[in-house]
Amino acid sequence: MIFNTPIFFWFFTIFILFYGFVFLKQKPKVYLILVGSLIFYGAWNYSFIPLLVGSGIADYFIAQAIYNASCQVKKKQWLSLSIILNLGLLAIFKYADFAINSVSALLTTIGYNASLETLGWVLPVGISFYTFQSLSYTIDVYRGDMKPRKGLVEFIAALSFFPQLVAGPILRASHILPQMHAIALPKWQAVKHGFLLITVGLIKKTGADLLAIPAQKAFEAKEAISTLELWTGVLAFAGQIYGDFSGYTDMAIGIALILGFSIPLNFRVPYFAKSPVDFWRRWHISLSSWLRDYLYISLGGNRHNQRTRNVFLTMLLGGLWHGAAWTFVAWGAFHGAIITATHYLANLKIFARFNQSNTLLVGFIKWAITFYLVLIGWVFFAANDLTSALSIIVNLHVLNSSIASGSNAVTIFVITSVWVLLVHVMDFYVIKGADKLESKPWLFWLLMMLGQGICLFIGEPSNEFIYFQF
Amino acid sequence: MTSRKIYRKTLLAIGLCMLCALGIIQLILNAMGANSQGVLGRVTEARAALPAIVKEPKDLVMFFGSSMTRAGFSPRQFDRDAAAVGKSVTSYNYGFGGLNPYFQDFLSRRISEEFIASDRKLKLTMIEFNPFQTTKTRWQRAQPVLDSFLTLLATDHELLEIGKNDLTRGIRLFNIKYLRGNISAEMITSFFGRGMFPPQAHQTYKDDQQTIDERRRLGQLLSAKFDEEYPNHKNAAWSSPWQGGGTIPEERSAETLAIFNDYYAVTQTDNAMKNDRLSRIRSADIEELNFEPLLVEHFINIIKNFQKISQHVEVMMLPKNSRWIHTTPAAEARLAKVVKQIELATGLKMKNHQNIDEITSDMYRDTTHLSRYRGDVAYTNYLLKAYAPLLE
Repeated sequence: MIFNTPIFFWFFTIFILFYGFVFLKQKPKVYLILVGSLIFYGAWNYSFIPLLVGSGIADYFIAQAIYNASCQVKKKQWLSLSIILNLGLLAIFKYADFAINSVSALLTTIGYNASLETLGWVLPVGISFYTFQSLSYTIDVYRGDMKPRKGLVEFIAALSFFPQLVAGPILRASHILPQMHAIALPKWQAVKHGFLLITVGLIKKTGADLLAIPAQKAFEAKEAISTLELWTGVLAFAGQIYGDFSGYTDMAIGIALILGFSIPLNFRVPYFAKSPVDFWRRWHISLSSWLRDYLYISLGGNRHNQRTRNVFLTMLLGGLWHGAAWTFVAWGAFHGAIITATHYLANLKIFARFNQSNTLLVGFIKWAITFYLVLIGWVFFAANDLTSALSIIVNLHVLNSSIASGSNAVTIFVITSVWVLLVHVMDFYVIKGADKLESKPWLFWLLMMLGQGICLFIGEPSNEFIYFQF
Repeated sequence: MTSRKIYRKTLLAIGLCMLCALGIIQLILNAMGANSQGVLGRVTEARAALPAIVKEPKDLVMFFGSSMTRAGFSPRQFDRDAAAVGKSVTSYNYGFGGLNPYFQDFLSRRISEEFIASDRKLKLTMIEFNPFQTTKTRWQRAQPVLDSFLTLLATDHELLEIGKNDLTRGIRLFNIKYLRGNISAEMITSFFGRGMFPPQAHQTYKDDQQTIDERRRLGQLLSAKFDEEYPNHKNAAWSSPWQGGGTIPEERSAETLAIFNDYYAVTQTDNAMKNDRLSRIRSADIEELNFEPLLVEHFINIIKNFQKISQHVEVMMLPKNSRWIHTTPAAEARLAKVVKQIELATGLKMKNHQNIDEITSDMYRDTTHLSRYRGDVAYTNYLLKAYAPLLE
């Protein structure tokens, strides 16, 4: 079930009827959220519901065991079990075939004629999100950052909370569990903001679907295309993945607000970043902060002069989290490398003045370099394989005058650039100045109706949400 | 504000947004003229014509197929020449461009239902098997219009059956049918996408400007001649579109026929034909023929649907412009396999008219379609000779 589909519209309308008028007390509301979330998940594939519920039940009891364990060694053993369980699920469903194929390719390279059978299992949608969310709970309890919660149903309802179940944001147990324990009555102001976010999300998703056309042209071209069209394609992919993913999370946050829940922001105008480090503070914030808190710090963080190694490892695994392919590993490694390079350069005296300068020109140069690097990173992310990625990167930098651009290449480049910019301006406005719009009810509701109307007219799921595959 | 009041307002807002969305959908669709007639006009007209067809007193003949059938079969000539040899029939050209066996299967079900309900039978049904309408490429290119066409051609019961297997899709299909005026979001996205990011024109080979100008001039001249020779052609009763236009060369002036000759000379230049061949390769995989199994299954269904309502069913592949289209040996092998599959499933022997002597390379208007007043005349003659015995 995807937010911008008719089935979700009916599901949500019926859900609101029960949520707002029938199940008014805390406990029945939690049960309703649980049942609604499982229906939402089951509409995609009900056979994976036991996996979702099972992993939640296991972590619920493991957290209690960690808390009640008599010594640190036992706590560690229970935590290890939780990590093995959650990462084991990911390993089996997401990475097993990738590992088998990689071993098979390696054996073939060194001369063994190995053709190993892959499992060919379907990847349960949202598994990367809910396993990380569940894992954060047991780690937090192990670290003493929170006590285990009482109430299994509440825990499973929080884990499977449908607005964020399949594509995030990755919620921390410490954030969502207290809200699920005492579901707040919604405030009309929050509901209005929820509508605004849903409309903005729909607009972004609709734009992303249209940007998919020039992006596909660049990444799936069977014949050589001009340098301009290649740059347009890469820029379009940048716009597509941002519109697609941040659009989905905007809708998730908006829907949660209507239900009386608050979900933290997952994107903060990322293409306005002025360094790779800054980019990761703005892009998929719930994942980057998860990786920082639970992986980078666990690896030792900045201590013992191991920052470079730890940053690189964190980004490498962050890349792998996105998908079981070498292109994602390369994308993670690329970002690890540019973050490391940024840290290194920041320590050089020669760059000190440049780093500290706040002039418009320096700001522009920092932004341009960062955006260029992010775009190059997206080539690894979007390409079918590493060879194609490297070939595209080379072709982006070699002006091939023998290949003519299509008749509208310049127009398409301009439209793509303007759209990417406009989406960021819109986001900036939503973050900084939504109150002003929300205080003018007639204008606000007119814009909401028009925005949703136009998006539902041309929107719907002509392209699946990219992040569903993760 | 109480919780109930907030959720009342929330539901009102959801309802108003949805109403506004539906209003905008209808408004823009009407402004674009994108109603069901515009989208699938000839097919819906042909469907609407069925109640009248089943009441036709003479024996009925139907040729069901693609745009190649539409271009290659003249019902008026067939009926006239059949009458001359003592067979009183009314024939119909149910050849449609832009469809594929998936959609045709649903259309043939509607035809079959109409005939069964009226307890009527077709004397002869000729069904075209078009190999390149059945390829994976063709199927992929149909995706943006898939659900729209489906809602136009399928019954509610069939949509419900789809919904039983896939609830999300079922609700989507009913939403498209009853709330979106048969226009799916994919269709719109594809429409706007093509507008915003038009595919690069692949006119690899270019004619000289003089030829292009002459082509335009002769085209306009032929349109003017048509208006002149058929002043009442805007009257729907004059020419049923599902009967293939309904003009025959004997009705045209010698001057018009001479213009047609000149027109074909400038439209069938080597460059124009090379471009057309390339576009068919891109749009239908015409030389490699990588078949889509689902489409083959639906083609088998089409035959079975007509077997229920026809005394005789003949399946054939239409003449192929072998001067321009060169299927590879691998494609030929794939084709032979698919033909065998169809024959086994239906018990019918497929006739291969691809290389019949009666059709020569100058009888095509492009790399696939037979030309008016040349190709269609020759092929309709051939069909009558071949199948007249079945009209007894």
